[in-house]
Formats: sequence, C-alpha cells, structure tokens
Amino acid sequence: MAEIKMLDASDRGLSGGYMMWYRFSRNPSAVIGTLILLSVVILAVFAPFLTPFPKHVGAVVDFRARHLPPDWTHWFGTDKVGRDIFSRTVFGLRISLLLVIGVLGISVPVGAILGLIAGYFGGWSEKLISGLTNVMLAMPPLVMALAVSNLLEPNLMNAMIAITLLWWTWHARLIYAVSKSIASEDYIEAARLAGAGPIHILFREILPNCIPVLSVKTTLDAAFVILFGATLSFLGFGVKPPIPDLGSMVADGRQFMPDYWWEVLCPGAAVLYTTLGFNLLGDGLRDMFDVES
Amino acid sequence: MTEPLLKVEGLNVSFTTYGRTRKVLNDVSFTVGAGERVALIGETGSGKSVTAKAIIGTLPKNAVVSSGSIAFAGREVLAMPRGEREALKGTAFSLIMQDPLASFNPVFKIGTHLDDVMRFADKREGKSFSKAERRNRIAAVLRRVQLADTERVMNAYPSELSGGMRQRVLIGLALLHQPKLLIADEPGTALDVTTQDEILNLINQLVVEEKMSLLMITHNLGVVRKVADRVVVMHHGDIVETGPCAEILKHPSQAYTKALLDAVPPLYGPRVLDLPASDKPPIVTIDGLNKIYGRRNGYHAVRDVNLVLKEGEVFGLAGESGSGKTSVARIIMGLSSATSGTISIDAPAPAKGRRLTQIVYQNPGTSLNPKRTVRQTLTLPLKAIGLDGAARLARMNELMDLVRLPQSYLSKYPHELSGGQKQRVAIARALAAEPKILILDEPTAALDVSVQKTVIELLLQLREELGLTYLMISHDLSLMRNFCSRIAIMLRGEIVEDGATTQVFANPTHPYTRALIAAIPVVTDEEERLKPSVSEEERTRFLVKTTD
Repeated sequence: MAEIKMLDASDRGLSGGYMMWYRFSRNPSAVIGTLILLSVVILAVFAPFLTPFPKHVGAVVDFRARHLPPDWTHWFGTDKVGRDIFSRTVFGLRISLLLVIGVLGISVPVGAILGLIAGYFGGWSEKLISGLTNVMLAMPPLVMALAVSNLLEPNLMNAMIAITLLWWTWHARLIYAVSKSIASEDYIEAARLAGAGPIHILFREILPNCIPVLSVKTTLDAAFVILFGATLSFLGFGVKPPIPDLGSMVADGRQFMPDYWWEVLCPGAAVLYTTLGFNLLGDGLRDMFDVES
Repeated sequence: MTEPLLKVEGLNVSFTTYGRTRKVLNDVSFTVGAGERVALIGETGSGKSVTAKAIIGTLPKNAVVSSGSIAFAGREVLAMPRGEREALKGTAFSLIMQDPLASFNPVFKIGTHLDDVMRFADKREGKSFSKAERRNRIAAVLRRVQLADTERVMNAYPSELSGGMRQRVLIGLALLHQPKLLIADEPGTALDVTTQDEILNLINQLVVEEKMSLLMITHNLGVVRKVADRVVVMHHGDIVETGPCAEILKHPSQAYTKALLDAVPPLYGPRVLDLPASDKPPIVTIDGLNKIYGRRNGYHAVRDVNLVLKEGEVFGLAGESGSGKTSVARIIMGLSSATSGTISIDAPAPAKGRRLTQIVYQNPGTSLNPKRTVRQTLTLPLKAIGLDGAARLARMNELMDLVRLPQSYLSKYPHELSGGQKQRVAIARALAAEPKILILDEPTAALDVSVQKTVIELLLQLREELGLTYLMISHDLSLMRNFCSRIAIMLRGEIVEDGATTQVFANPTHPYTRALIAAIPVVTDEEERLKPSVSEEERTRFLVKTTD
C-alpha cells in the first residue's frame, strides 16, 4: 500500500495530550489563570493551617483590636469586632469555591443533558426545552434569586439553590446549539446505522465534541457565580454571620469607608483575584480549543 | 532569451507547528514566461499551494522563507517593502480562489463587493473615479467573463447565483486591474464537471485575449492537459520534474509522475478496466420511485425512477449535484421514505442489530467522530450484533486485516490518520456487521488520485472476497467507467440513460450523457478524440446555466 505520505504527517505523529500541553504552555492567560486558581484552591483547602487566626472565623470579639490597619500580624487589618480580616478572607474563599462547585456541579450536567436532548431529538422536546430556557432567561436573575432566597431561609444552601435554578438555562442553551449542529454530522448518522442507541449517541458521540465549549463556558461561569454569590450575601441574602463570606464582609466594612478602607478593599480584592483567575483560564481555554465564543 | 515574467529560484519555506519546524518547500525553482501557461501539479501536501502563497505574499504567520528569490518582471518581490508588495496584488498578479461561495460575503450584493475591491485598488494607486464610472468598468469586466446581464448579476446576492456564475465573478474580480499573471488555485474543483469544463475554457480564452500568463495550481492531470503549456510536478515540497505539457503526460521520466499518471482512471483506451456484469438475480428492485421534499409544491427530487440492483454487481448512479442520486440511495437505505413507488428487497431479513445496507461516506473527515479512537468506532457495530470479549477482539482484528491496516492503528484517533487510512476505517465500520449491500457515496472524492487508486483496489478485492453488492454514487464518470459493471445517469431527478458501463460509454444515446462524458478532463489526446461530440444546442438544453 504505497500511500502518498502527507506532509502534515509530523503533526499526526503527535499525541493529543502533547498538542494540548504545547498550546497550554504557550498561552500566558491560561497559565496565569491556572496559577491563580491553584493558589486560591490551596489557600481554601488548607485554610485552617495557613491562616494566622483560624478562630476568628467564628464569633470572636476582641474590642481592643478593632479597626487595626494592615500590619505584620494582621496582613489585611482587623474588622469592627477585632477579627483578622486575612483569616476571614481565606475562609471566605472556601465559601465562594463551595458555591461554585455546588452551583456548577448541578447546573452544568442538568443544562448539558437538557441541551443534548433538545439538540439531538428535536421535535417536541426541542420546543419544550428551548421554550423553558427562553422563559427562564427572560427573568431578571438578581430579582429571581432574591425572591427564592427570600422565600427560604437565607443561608449558603438556599443561595446555591437560588443561583442553580437560574444557571442551568445558559448551559442548556449553549449545548442545545452545539449539539444541534453536531447531530447533523455524518458520523452521528453512521453511528446510528451501526446500531447505536440514543444514550450512546448523546453521551459517547455528541457530548465529547461539546467538551471544549462546555469547559470554556463553565470556567467563565465560575467567575460569574462567585460575583453573583457575593452580591447576594452583600445584600444580606447569602451566608449567615458569623460565617465569613466575601460579599458580607464587604457589606460589613462599607459603613466604615473610607477611614477603614481595608475592611472593604481586602475581601473585594479576593473576589477580584479569584474571578480574574477563572476569567483568564476561561479565555486561555478558548484560545487553546479554538472555540468561537 | 528575454527575462521571464515570474522567476522563482531556490525557494525554501518551512513551517513551525507545536515547536517543530519542518521544511515544506525544498529548493523550488521554476519560471513563468510572458504569455505562458504553467501548471503546478501535485497531491495534498506537495507544497503547490504554499508556493502560490509565497508568490502572492499570503503565507501564514508560522511560515518562514528561509532562502531563495521570487522575481517578478526582474524585480525581487521578497525584498520589497510591504506597501509596494501589497500594490502588486491585483495589478501584477491576481488570484482566483478555489471556493466561489466562501470568497464572497453573503450579505453584500455582487456589485457592492466588486465596487469595494475596485475602489480600494484605485485608492492605492491614487486615482479616483465616480461611482457611475466604476459601475461601467465593472460591467465591462463582467461581460469579459461572459456574464451578459450585468445589471442582474450586480444586483444579486452571492446565494442567488449558481456556482459556475460565482466562479465567473471571481475570475472577473481577478481581472479588474489587468494583471499580468493570473494565479488559479484549483478553479472549478468545487463545481460539477460540466461547469468546471466551461470555467477552464473561459480561463484559457481570457489568458489569450488579455495576453496574461497563467499559473495553474491543480491536482487534476486532466485539467493540466487542458490549460497548460508547461508542467511543474511537485511532491513533498520538491520539484520532481518540469517540462512541456505533452511531453510530461506522454513520456514522464520520473517514477513519481508515472505513478501519478497511472493512478488516473482512463476513460478510453487499453488501460480501461471492464467489470463483468452480474448474472445473479436482483436483490433490490425499485419501481416508480418519487420523492418530493416539502408539502405542497415541494421540490421534486426524484421522478419515476426504476432501478434494478443485481446481487454481486457494482452499480453506478451518476449525476451532478442536485440530480437526486443521493436521495435514491437514502431511500434504499431506509433513511428517508419515498413519496410514492415501491422498493422490493429480495434477501432474507437481517438478524437483530444487522442491516442489509451500509454506507461509506464521501468525506472520511466528517464521517468518523474526531473524539473516538478507531477501536471505539469499530466496537459500536460489533456490540450491536452481540459480539463481546474475545470474539469482538478477533473480529476487530479481522476487519483491520480486511482493510489492510495494522492492528496497532486501533488505538489511534482520526486526526492521527491520513485521508486514505480514515476511509479504510470507515469501510471497516461499514463492513463490521456484514451487510449485503454497500452504498458508496463518492468514496474517493475527498482523496488524492493515488490514494483513490488504492481505495478502489481495496473495494474491488473486498467485493470478491465477501460477495458484496455495491451501489456507487458519483459524479466522476472516468472513475465509474473502471469500477462499475452497470451505470445509470441521473439528471434533475430522472434516470436519462442506463445500461452496461461498456455500452453507455461506447455509445451514449442521451445528449446529457454525451455532454457529461465530453466534459471529463482526460490525460491523453487519444481519449479526447474518442469522446462523444455534443452540439451547442444540446449543451444549452441540458447543462446548468453558468452564464445568465
């Protein structure tokens, strides 16, 4: 079989993993984003060992140390009852990450599955699911979330539920569009002719081709979820005190602006740092996968 | 001897991808004289398009011209400052691109598009004309490419023109500023044969009338014979041989050129392969088949088609795009239902998970899931027929042997395979559940001619080994001449002629068949002479209008 060897043979010899790594390592925003998120995750996971005052997470009151500016003992200063803001901020990251995992852990699979079903089967399932997402997307998200967490008791769980109820629609819509175009590919018909059932086609043939788009969207969404969660607890509908949450910490420090600026700025910077990490990684992934927004 | 118009000397170009640099052009040297027509010919990855891009100056960012010179009318192009080099585009040389649809922005009218191009080119030269003047000049150019109703063409959106007309407009676009050298990158390849034939005639005519030189980039040796005085054969970035067209095609000196010529399926002559007709009973009988898409006043894609597929034969369904050949095949496969008519199948009903028919698609790039390995792709049909464990593994290895691929390829992803290898995997998948009939939907249209040859040989061997029946859908009549035992020609949903392949080609009765055969680019003068003749009146009656 003397087949004419094509010139891109050298490309073909490369494994998919190597090409991915090559693109990743040459993509500054992906690398920086990953480093930022790695630092956030390490801080959050090992928070009790890495923070100077892990007890300050609870209801500690030390009025002699209230409103201390940043120094070597209190890197981010102290708040109105004398708690170390750095310790509380690091523990606040835990809450933010939990929120991301909780919200995206539910809304991404749910949205993706509904999107796949609507995109592949079409017909009434398409009408139903895309109609539902359109209705959900028409509602102002913040008002919706406020309403939900108002009905229920304000705590982390309910904030998560409120955000999740909104969030799956974006993923459903995205995966619907992508899977609809993939469903018309020859290889899907070929799989059907080879005897594949709908479950196989949805999850083994279509879904792997959605992974690039889905991972970019999920990463960028993580940043939004953190901001959204912080907004909810800033408004008092999120985590209950004394549990530290970045949003409620900013809300607490607000009344002491501008004199005790660190009480707002430091937790705010933590929100910025984390969302920046997710956004950079998301952008980097988009370049790596070459996904159109 | 006078200075040639274009002189490429010792050109070396390398590409860097994933941190690895590889040379794609190796010391490429050739010339194009004034008024000369030169063809760069080669298969995928030969470097022919890279050469053209280096001349025009549109190499991608990861490409580097490491050494060599490109001189246009004695001036070194590579040393020019950017602006000066830009100014050469359109005036010194122009490019005709391959895909006539992708070259237009679908939201602009043709006239607007042409006007923009002209306005910017004028601006670059520091001239300015009124809109009316430009419109007149555009109309003149459109008339040059035989689009007589210029008003209508200018007011049309790209989607409103046929592929042939769009290709004509593209040629017109290239002519706007009277270039001295016309570079054509596979013109008409995306079009039907009959349209391609007319486009080549037009290019030939224009080159003479405008006193241009032509650099034709193509993979089709038949096209070369039609439009080139001199041929440059490229392979793996090297120039294999250069010489006068007739010389190269008749007496190639290099083994590669010989192999390339050998791989072209002949239309007439002693090299033609005749497949014996099958004397077995029919396996599929189609009677009065009609297919109408849409409800009321729908598109009548298939009209009263009667067709008999005998067991063990290779039946060819030929036709151009939109002729309804794919619709017929899909109905036979049960993928779509007929509006009226009957299909009777004379074969025992297949067992669970098996199908009577399977299909090999045109483009293996889109018929294999990019995220699944060969093993995963082949597992699917084997699982469906209830094979598992050792039996599945044994059958998988058997299939890989059948399509002559090493078993180590099972763990590869499609992007790690060449086009021909991918098509072999697709064939293996189709054969996995032992169908009786294989539908071949232009199985080699996306492959190079030498790869096509090996795939066709494989298909013929498989048919003998496994006793398969093939239904081949294609527009490539020269390929079908050598591959099919019987053939039917479709035009606008109807079968206009059918019979044994030898008969249809020796004595085509329907004018459309004659026009179709006459339009095939062939490699030798002898074949050209043997083609049936078609009158102008017949041509206009049956062919898609490419003028207006």
